[in-house]
Amino acid sequence: MRAATAPRVAIWTLLLTLALATSIATAVTIGPADIGFDEVWASIASHLGLGATPLSPLRDGIVWELRLPRVLTAAAVGAGLAIAGAVMQAITRNSLADPYPLGLSSGASLGAVAVLVLGVAVLLPVAAFLGALLALAATLLIAGAGGSLTPSRTILAGIAVSSLGAALTSFVIFWTATGDSYREILSWLLGSLAGSSWSTVLIAGGGILIIGVPLMLGGRMLDAFAFGDTSAAALGVNVTSTRWLMLVGTALLTGGMVSVSGSIGFVGLVLPHAVRLIVGARHRALLPLAALTGAIFLIWCDTAARALFDPRELPVGIVTAFIGAPVFVLLLVRSRRLT
Amino acid sequence: MSPITHSLGHPLVRLTAIAAIGALALTGCAADGGAVAAPAPAAETSAAVIDNCGTLVTAASPSPLPSPERIVTIKSTSTEMLLALGLADRIVGSAFQDGPVPSEWAEIAEQIPVISDFAPGQEAVLSLEPDFVYAGWESMLTAEAAGDRESLAGLGVETYVAPSACKDPGYQPEKLGFDDVFADITEAGAVFGAEEAASELIAEQSDALDSIAADTRGLSALWYSSGTDTPYVGAGIGAPQMIMERLGLGNIAADVNDTWSPLGWEAIIDADPDVIVLVDASWNTAGSKIDSLEQNPVTAQMSAVRASRYLVIPFAAGEAGVRNVSATADLADQLASINVE
Amino acid sequence: MTGSAEAGGAECAMTTRSLSVVLGGRRVVDSVDSRFGSGQVTAILGPNGAGKSSLIRVLAGVDRPDSGEVAWQGRDWFASGRRDRARVAALVEQDAGAELPLTVRMAVELGRTPHGSFLAGHSHGDARIVAAAMIDAGVADFADRQISTLSGGERQRVHLARALAQHPRLLLLDEPTNHLDVHAQLSTLTLVRNLAARDGLAVVAALHDLNLAVGFADNVIVLDAGRLVAAGPPAAVLTPALISRVWRVSATVLSHPVTGAPVIAFDLPERTHS
Repeated sequence: MRAATAPRVAIWTLLLTLALATSIATAVTIGPADIGFDEVWASIASHLGLGATPLSPLRDGIVWELRLPRVLTAAAVGAGLAIAGAVMQAITRNSLADPYPLGLSSGASLGAVAVLVLGVAVLLPVAAFLGALLALAATLLIAGAGGSLTPSRTILAGIAVSSLGAALTSFVIFWTATGDSYREILSWLLGSLAGSSWSTVLIAGGGILIIGVPLMLGGRMLDAFAFGDTSAAALGVNVTSTRWLMLVGTALLTGGMVSVSGSIGFVGLVLPHAVRLIVGARHRALLPLAALTGAIFLIWCDTAARALFDPRELPVGIVTAFIGAPVFVLLLVRSRRLT
Repeated sequence: MSPITHSLGHPLVRLTAIAAIGALALTGCAADGGAVAAPAPAAETSAAVIDNCGTLVTAASPSPLPSPERIVTIKSTSTEMLLALGLADRIVGSAFQDGPVPSEWAEIAEQIPVISDFAPGQEAVLSLEPDFVYAGWESMLTAEAAGDRESLAGLGVETYVAPSACKDPGYQPEKLGFDDVFADITEAGAVFGAEEAASELIAEQSDALDSIAADTRGLSALWYSSGTDTPYVGAGIGAPQMIMERLGLGNIAADVNDTWSPLGWEAIIDADPDVIVLVDASWNTAGSKIDSLEQNPVTAQMSAVRASRYLVIPFAAGEAGVRNVSATADLADQLASINVE
Repeated sequence: MTGSAEAGGAECAMTTRSLSVVLGGRRVVDSVDSRFGSGQVTAILGPNGAGKSSLIRVLAGVDRPDSGEVAWQGRDWFASGRRDRARVAALVEQDAGAELPLTVRMAVELGRTPHGSFLAGHSHGDARIVAAAMIDAGVADFADRQISTLSGGERQRVHLARALAQHPRLLLLDEPTNHLDVHAQLSTLTLVRNLAARDGLAVVAALHDLNLAVGFADNVIVLDAGRLVAAGPPAAVLTPALISRVWRVSATVLSHPVTGAPVIAFDLPERTHS
């Protein structure tokens, strides 16, 4: 791995930003409905107040209500998961960490299952987010019970809550799922962007702005953790509160993403590794570049998920796993050659 | 803290849940049409032995064996088949029903004990001391549900799956047709010793089927079963296709080579079907589907949604069985009263 | 036998008074008075569990004492904020082996953390200090190599470079030579002694090896079960009687045939008279 000098990082940032813009522009023109590139953009422009749409209301709806929100949500979720994964890997000093700490993912699943199977009359994203928060609360409660609330106790408590949440989810499904309702649950558990709308763009995008950006700005503090807690403390970092802030920030960011798209795997685990190989572990560079890469990656995985088997659709989590797993193996092999 | 215990946190969660779903998915296959006289592995050793999805079943007639007297039915299609053949008094219990039976059988059906609203367990089934288990889905005859076919046979309990629900290639038909449905009735008559009732029923249903006038307006349709983000629709080779063809409706998913399939909204909206057939189930009503169609800003633009051109069919009638003909007739009536300008 | 000897005329940079640290119900540092002078190397000695690391951590400002006072240049050490403390004191721990892919330069740059603002990136001034630190620690030649490709001794020097990049007035080392080969041990300690002399750093090192302490330290502090048992110049403090009492081994102090410096030779058990 070559040294990541400032010019190198700047070049990569520029390239990736351009790639993201191009990806959004292109992905929006891909889909089962046969709509031309210029027609798509004319339609989008008309919604922004520039000219009239050349498409029928229905096909215009396909572009503006289906494709564009979906591509934008994919970008935001991909970025959010990549940031969350990178931060988790830094604060736990564990490069196998993923962005689903503290039982969040299984809490959100339980919320989703409550809506999809038990027919609880709440909006799915709200239920998922509430489930995630409940799991977080349970984790913190268990970790704090009978001892001091340290990060390692918290993460272990998170594993316990995860397993419990998964068991409860499975139980509810087995016990009550009738007919073909299991399909929706499976799709949600694997992660799917099919339910994207302008509200999900708001939620996911908001998550990035409100939580993702501050996390990225704290990159310097994350670097200090590289050699352990004592080193970080000796460098003047408030280890405990920094860790908590990062942990809770990641949990909220992830909770927001999961409530919108289910638990999409591999993005938060693999992409930070890949970006680290190119620009190194300095988080001021790593986090934004990982965000950009995550956005591009998920846009294209989702495009494949909805267009590859036209007119059928796959949950995007299947595609990220298919691509993510071999990429992960590749990274493992490459990293072994470095050490 | 070991890296391994932490990394087990999420992936294990996911794996457990997916294994659970996967197992449930196996127990929930949709029924398809089946050719009884299946091409490849048909082992017709004698007229009295039938190859039922790979397991040999001895028909009650013509054979010296007595007809089954204590039958457990799983899923509505099997219960309804026996009710239609007049064999209600031989049913000792039913499980995993998909909805209420048609009104003509309502009183008789009340008498049938319900083992479970969901997939029954082996002990629960066996405690009724049945001599036969008749399942509407192949996955009901596994160890996780009513019991493995071989082990049940070992206990003296014969089993039979609606041939239309067989999943293995060679048993699943290329495309379900009404002759397949009628052949299923004939075979059921043989298996349960009610051949006369079977031929009467078929004659009745054939007449009814013939008298249905197909719509001539060349309309396109979507068969919408469930799913809000990704709809699960009737595709090209199963009961939905069969019914829609008979009605003269063009299935927008006819090219998809499956009985039912998930379909992206974009493809559906692009096709803009003239009519939407809504499957009505207690866990997913036609009403809730209409609501979600109307509330979604883009599906609300579909011509069928704006003009409320909906046909409704109960879930049980949408799988291959004795209700297909009457359901088709009912849908034809609903279709006739729909205006398309 | 307690004592607090004069720190030989040098300025007393850091002092502790009745310092105690309690861990898990045990007093790991028990009422220790100590002084550490600028421009001097002070070694903290003692058997395992004597409290050396705990004392170092308090001096580094990483842990707070349970009772007693710690003063830096006469002022309460813990009255300043952590970042201010980190600009004064730098800690070099034993190399733990980081898994993250870092180059030597990146690792050393971490030392600038307490100096930059939360949001700022690296400045030119930072780059110069980092370069100087790498040269001082002798790792400039592999500035762009992955630290995972370095030997133990080289990595230890990278940690030292990082501490130097903090531009400290107090340099703390927690058993920095334990797993190094002889050459690396001697060169590391020579380096810190020279830095103490050149830049006036107060260097405090917890050491196991008594001969290294004799060879490199201006003063030593001996801890036993958390209590201070002796302090002063190494030759005066490390007598066979003290060694026998604290480390429970028999030793003889010899004179180096060439330099005349004291050399502590341990009597191996079979050869001891009963």
